[in-house]
Amino acid sequence: MRLYEYQAKELFREYGLPVPKSVLARDPAEVKRAFASLKPPVALKSQVLAGGRGKAGGVALVDRPEDAEAEAKRIFALRIGGEKPTALLVEEGYPHDSEMYLSVTLDRGERSFVAIGARAGGVEVESLSGKVIRKVPVDGIDDKFAEDVASELRLEGSLAAQFAKILLSLEGLAREKECELAEINPIAVGKDGTLLPLDAKVIVDDNALFRHPEFSKLHPEDEFEGEASRQGFAFVRLEGDIAVVGNGAGLVLSTLDLVGDAGGNPACFLDLGGGAQQDRVEAAIRLVNRLPGATRILVNIYGGITRSTDVAAGIRAVISEGGLKPLYARVSGAEEEEARRMLSGTAVKMFKTAPEAVAAVVKGA
Amino acid sequence: MILPRRGEPVIVQNMTGRYGRLHTRLMLDYGTNVAAGAAPGKGGQSVEGVPVYDTVAEAVAKTGAKASVCFVPAEFTLAAGEEALNAGIKLLVIITEHVPVRDELRLVQLAQSRGASIIGPNCPGIIIPSQRAKLGIMPAPSFSAGSVALYSRSGTLTYEIAGQLTASGYGQSLAVGIGGDPINGTTSIEWMDHVQGMEDTKAVVVVGEIGGDAEERLARHIQKSGYAKPIVAYIAGRHAPKEKKMGHAGAIIYGDYGTADSKIRALRSAGVEVAATPMEVPALVKKALA
Repeated sequence: MRLYEYQAKELFREYGLPVPKSVLARDPAEVKRAFASLKPPVALKSQVLAGGRGKAGGVALVDRPEDAEAEAKRIFALRIGGEKPTALLVEEGYPHDSEMYLSVTLDRGERSFVAIGARAGGVEVESLSGKVIRKVPVDGIDDKFAEDVASELRLEGSLAAQFAKILLSLEGLAREKECELAEINPIAVGKDGTLLPLDAKVIVDDNALFRHPEFSKLHPEDEFEGEASRQGFAFVRLEGDIAVVGNGAGLVLSTLDLVGDAGGNPACFLDLGGGAQQDRVEAAIRLVNRLPGATRILVNIYGGITRSTDVAAGIRAVISEGGLKPLYARVSGAEEEEARRMLSGTAVKMFKTAPEAVAAVVKGA
Repeated sequence: MILPRRGEPVIVQNMTGRYGRLHTRLMLDYGTNVAAGAAPGKGGQSVEGVPVYDTVAEAVAKTGAKASVCFVPAEFTLAAGEEALNAGIKLLVIITEHVPVRDELRLVQLAQSRGASIIGPNCPGIIIPSQRAKLGIMPAPSFSAGSVALYSRSGTLTYEIAGQLTASGYGQSLAVGIGGDPINGTTSIEWMDHVQGMEDTKAVVVVGEIGGDAEERLARHIQKSGYAKPIVAYIAGRHAPKEKKMGHAGAIIYGDYGTADSKIRALRSAGVEVAATPMEVPALVKKALA
């Protein structure tokens, strides 16, 4: 779960990391009031989770109150990666000479967390040169670890001490809050040599949320994503018109590819999970049947532990409720003939292979 | 890694749970010697005639099992895994989904220090058809004995591809789900090296998906090591959106990191045949073996 910048900065404060003075504003009038309480220049920052916020125009630096309101209106109306902000972070600007980079992140290939530091910042970590990367022990780092990273970056004196302190706090936050990523990009190096983190990106391990009830209320949920997660489905809302349902994440992912290759656009990704029974099939089809924008449904089930006849019975139950959108199904595995017989005479179109079902659903035939 | 062989005893952790019961029966049906179960507080019970003990240590002492299949819920998987590895289990198959990443890292480290191997978490397990050994949840009819090694980050896609290979006359020397999480107990490179030494394996099928750089690393490893067996790959997620977790915890693209295109490019440049769809895999295997 990725946190909004303002939420990440609240965590930073909790862990003793310095951050600029800021106010969260929910509308342009609040932005104007917030502006008045801060020392210009002031940054207005769109609170969205999508990447590429700066490039998309989601950040503005303003000096005058009237500019603050006008820019606020513009940013509130600006969609970034399909996402519209519900709040702006209004933050005191920090004049600085240079920028640095620091993160604690999971290195999947090394099967370890790593600390990454660089004497430049503000760009993607991939394009940073002169990075220092060090494996972080599972039980955390000590002063010496942090000082070693600072000295490897050829930092000296007060800069080195400040950097080491920031790294220690950031690593503590990442470990205790079980983050997959805790990133400061950039850390500003002020004219007087004071380091100040300007941005904050934190992604919490979804699987560890049961140990962190403090995060459970942080996000306004999409209605469908919320319901799907309560039902125990893996669900991602997409922008097309074909709802894609299947059993197994990889199978559904590969079904999205088949749909895309055939020129279609998926409306969602829904993985029923392993061993799904009739009630789960029913719940899933009911859910995607209500999904706005979805005009037809594609079901791709590889029957193994999930029985084809359970899938057919689930589909039949939803049909009996009326109002089912056109449904195209490929159900294979044990008892598939029986499953096909159960659905013959209904409006459901059954196919023997996934490519056949996909071709038909994309054409809408 | 020591792979399971015919008739060797296996224990099941949380045997008395819903999935533990179901898959104990299905593993027994397949021919796996499920010799004991472990479930705290359930000692003295039995499932399908198999005795259940309170601890893994007892189950190991009674049966001599070196392998365990773990169905313990995610909140308790770290403790259950530690219990198994400390009781002398050398092959720990963790089926459980949603295990926290930091718990997985601790288990991987413990396994390394004990000279043990972990398969998973978040995986369907391993099946060796020629040995009638199934330590996992895969549907047996999709698999048949043969000379293609199949390993995959996805469960159902493994069954789908195994089913197609089987229907085309290509049985499997082994099929394993390495797991859908960012951390795998045994990595694809480790599997590749293991399979290299298997005499009954003539070709390898690798099924990957978006997220991370395991396939890119594998491609570099193949090039560097001059891998001798033909390899066919399939990568799911060419049309997946960025920044969205696609079912598996590990299946997520950040920026340009973890895209299917990057993986496909890397594998092709290492000489691997990459199928555009799961249905193409058998034809590419046929070509590779011709």
